[in-house]
Amino acid sequence: MFKPYTYIALLLTLSLFASCTKDDGYVGVDPELISPVVFNIDSLPYDNLSEYNFFEGNIADLNPVYGVLPYGLNSALFSDYANKKRFVWMPKDSTAKYVNDYTTFDFPVGTILIKNFYYDNVLPDMSTKIIETRLMIKLEDDWTFANYVWNEEQTDATFTTQSKFLAFDWELNGETKSVNYKIPGFPECFTCHNKYDTPLPIGPKPQNINRNYLYPEGSKNQLAKWVEQGYLEDNYPSEIKSLVEWDDESQPLDLRVRSYFDINCAHCHSDQSYCEYASMRFEFNKTEDISNLGVCVESVFYINPSITHIVNPGITQRSALFFRISSDEDQYKMPLIGRTLNHIEGIELIEEWINSLTQNCN
Amino acid sequence: MKKVLLIFLAILIVPSISFGQTSSDTCSATDSATPISASGVFAVSAVNGTAPNPICPDNTNSASNGEWYRYTPSDDYFVTVTTNLTQNSGKDTRVHIYTGTCASLQCLAGNDDVGPTNYLSTVYFSVTAGETYYIAWDNFWGVSSFDFELIESYSPPTVSFTTSTISAPGTDRGAVDMNGDFLDDIVSISTSTIYVNEQQSGGGFVLKNYPLAGGTYSASWSMAAGDFDRNGYNDLVYGNSSGAHVVKANSTGTGYSIAATSHSVFTQRTNFADFDNDGNLDIFLCDDTAPNEYFINDGTSLTLWEGDNPSAPIPGGLGVYSSGGNYGSVWIDYDNDGDSDLFIAKCGGEEARRRNHLFRNNGNLSFTEVSTTANMDDALSTWSSAWGDYDSDGDMDCFVGSSLSSESHKMMRNDNGIFVDATTSFGLDVFNDYGHENQPFDFNNDGYIDIFSNGNILLNNGNGTFGIISAGIPQEGAVGDLNNDGFLDVFNSSIYYNNGNGNHWINIELVGVASNINGIGARIEVSSPSFNNASSKKAQIRDVRSAQGFAYMSTLNTHFGLGSDTTINTITIYWPSGTVDVVVSPSVDQSIRITEGETLSLETTLTDDLILYPNPTKGKLNINTTYGLENAVYSVFDITGKRVLNDRMSTNTIDVSELSSGNYILRIINNGLIKTQKFIKQ
Repeated sequence: MFKPYTYIALLLTLSLFASCTKDDGYVGVDPELISPVVFNIDSLPYDNLSEYNFFEGNIADLNPVYGVLPYGLNSALFSDYANKKRFVWMPKDSTAKYVNDYTTFDFPVGTILIKNFYYDNVLPDMSTKIIETRLMIKLEDDWTFANYVWNEEQTDATFTTQSKFLAFDWELNGETKSVNYKIPGFPECFTCHNKYDTPLPIGPKPQNINRNYLYPEGSKNQLAKWVEQGYLEDNYPSEIKSLVEWDDESQPLDLRVRSYFDINCAHCHSDQSYCEYASMRFEFNKTEDISNLGVCVESVFYINPSITHIVNPGITQRSALFFRISSDEDQYKMPLIGRTLNHIEGIELIEEWINSLTQNCN
Repeated sequence: MKKVLLIFLAILIVPSISFGQTSSDTCSATDSATPISASGVFAVSAVNGTAPNPICPDNTNSASNGEWYRYTPSDDYFVTVTTNLTQNSGKDTRVHIYTGTCASLQCLAGNDDVGPTNYLSTVYFSVTAGETYYIAWDNFWGVSSFDFELIESYSPPTVSFTTSTISAPGTDRGAVDMNGDFLDDIVSISTSTIYVNEQQSGGGFVLKNYPLAGGTYSASWSMAAGDFDRNGYNDLVYGNSSGAHVVKANSTGTGYSIAATSHSVFTQRTNFADFDNDGNLDIFLCDDTAPNEYFINDGTSLTLWEGDNPSAPIPGGLGVYSSGGNYGSVWIDYDNDGDSDLFIAKCGGEEARRRNHLFRNNGNLSFTEVSTTANMDDALSTWSSAWGDYDSDGDMDCFVGSSLSSESHKMMRNDNGIFVDATTSFGLDVFNDYGHENQPFDFNNDGYIDIFSNGNILLNNGNGTFGIISAGIPQEGAVGDLNNDGFLDVFNSSIYYNNGNGNHWINIELVGVASNINGIGARIEVSSPSFNNASSKKAQIRDVRSAQGFAYMSTLNTHFGLGSDTTINTITIYWPSGTVDVVVSPSVDQSIRITEGETLSLETTLTDDLILYPNPTKGKLNINTTYGLENAVYSVFDITGKRVLNDRMSTNTIDVSELSSGNYILRIINNGLIKTQKFIKQ
């Protein structure tokens, strides 16, 4: 078994080798920072999010303690317009390894991925409301899931494995929107986050981390920052075929679409995944071949008599993919899990892309 | 599908002459133009008139322009209107057929696409001499010129359907009786309303909207029906990816309320079945992402159980793979022992997750998974199966429908409880339309059960082979007799009425007394001159099932085609309670209602011939009889008449060790004869 160890709440301590004082005339060595995150692998998951000590100050401000490193994705999953704040933490002297551009980093035992789901401008009082904090924790053998649902007072979040609906209104770009937000239960987390029943994170792949992030000390490439933090071995290639931001209109349409598909669709539509049996392969590294996106691939699963192909070039109304991404009906909508609302901007992107295609399927 | 149509077209003599009738730009303009009055090919040179309205095909988007024709048949005909002609190759048409007047058009039929890869249109309908029909084409898909053919015929195709529109709001789910008159109604569901189009005894439908208080979950993935509280009105179970509702009818069938809910199931196929055999319908819920769930009905309340649980009625559960993969459950009696076994079509993920399950009902409230020994543990990607006696040998065979063009469908022949892949010999290796829905019904009433599979009817030729018929029905839907004519129809958005033929039929309506009131789980056997156990074509068999296929609820009435037989020898009902009813010489071409226990049972032979020893017994009962017991099924009833054991005889010894002490009756049914004898368990 993995040896349990605990980091107690020492904010700062001096390394044994940093014993000199200014008066000695020696060049001082920076004090070594130790993360105050409380991590006892045998006691996981904790009942409350606060017990991990990921955040300092008012917990709802999500100000990370030392060692809890914020990160962002080049392209992010649509989750009913929820905002997300992501963090990664690893135990001392543990390092993730680059595998290839499109595979989740080989994270060390004890890694915790922290993803907070929140909405701004929640009505009636236009407040910020954190809904849930989802953790994926790398244990000795497998990743495990731990989901925490925030209380009404926003003072802490409680562990749960059950799904739950939460209905509220919020304002987005001056428009009032309503959502019946679904906090996923364990089977839903697992359905997207597994390869042949082995749990796996989706977001933190080199192709989706390779971007700059605005850290308190300034903007920096996230991979470089992870190396600096000691969270990543410094052996990744200088060129990484990376996703673009799907909504960055300065980027080519096909790259935006392929980035969107990768993060929204590929966790199920790929080898060893939940919908492996359907022919689409939406991973970024496989979609230069657009037949993997279903272009001119006949639609097998019946939707309505008009639908002929997964993607019928130039004809959204004959394209199953467009129908599904535009539907909020449970038996049709894609993604199947993780959204109840239509992603208007995503639909527009897909529509623009299908209309730009000129292949003749006959 | 395309192959069949091409052959169909190849044998037509396509007239090269044009006819005088030209298209009009509006409906009313056709009233002063020359109508079409006979078969012919007609050229549409531009689509620049008024767009058709209302929209008749299932794709209900409006077009910008249309072209119109008037058609007045000189006789009663079956009519085909089609653009599926070689000169139209690559074009994309849409057609609307109306009755009524231009001021008040009613959709009679409509079609957008012939099939998934053929965007031309074909529509079938029947017409009455002298009536006026309007044919309208539109440019929704941008077509500007094309030819169409109108074909009049006195005889319908082998199996053919005429489409008819119906207003059914919500998600289309059922063709099943809801108002207690045994006529199949049309059921569609929204989260807040149960919509029932009630079939009228004189034909037609009346739409009733029943509000549902507190409805959260839609009927997105499936619906099943059954009267679990036995008040004479069928109840429903349906669900979506977040949960499932059991919805019950009130005492007059005029209102619905939520009786129970699962908040934890990612619903797939739902079923009503009495799997603890207490006379009360239980409910099975296939779960896509977790172990399966079920509600046990004790007669007063429903209790939800998930997966395996030592304190559950079925401790090992029924399909407990941790991440699910359960799509299409169906309760069938594959081993002819009179109790319901369970087959689950599975799909997705690693092989262990998607291997199909067959659970054998041991007749003592326990189930044994026999998937591997029965050769039914295929890992193909399937969402549903269709069970019927396709080779007329007296047991249920299974068509396992593939969801993928990369994997073949499988027809599994039942050889005494072990299944053999007979896809090729049945001629189904060439069937290549794939999808989710497979349901067994006899659509042409010839006595050989067919399969409704992904927009086709796999027509059982009765000689061990199937033909593949694209019959103008939708890809999937609910099956029932929606005009009470003895021929099965299909509902999905529209009604597809079976044009029928001259074959005979019987429709059986069950009312259970000791068994559940629907008789779900009963085995019905119909013996007629062409189909009986003394001939090479055995008596026809059905299980009463709720439900079949993947998403829809088809009729709870049990329908048999009889071919040219004008008489029936017997209808035998093997009720789930163990009761056996035999109806002798009923008339054909009728619906017959059979209440449990109302008839004489099977002939009972002298019990002197059935010697049990030791009697009293502590464990084993040895049976001594002059009759062979090769095909025998035994049942043990307690003094209240409840069936407590049920199985096929494998040796001349029965193990009764699990029974509590008391008096029991052993019954053996063999070759249509019943023998009973008392015994005492110590």
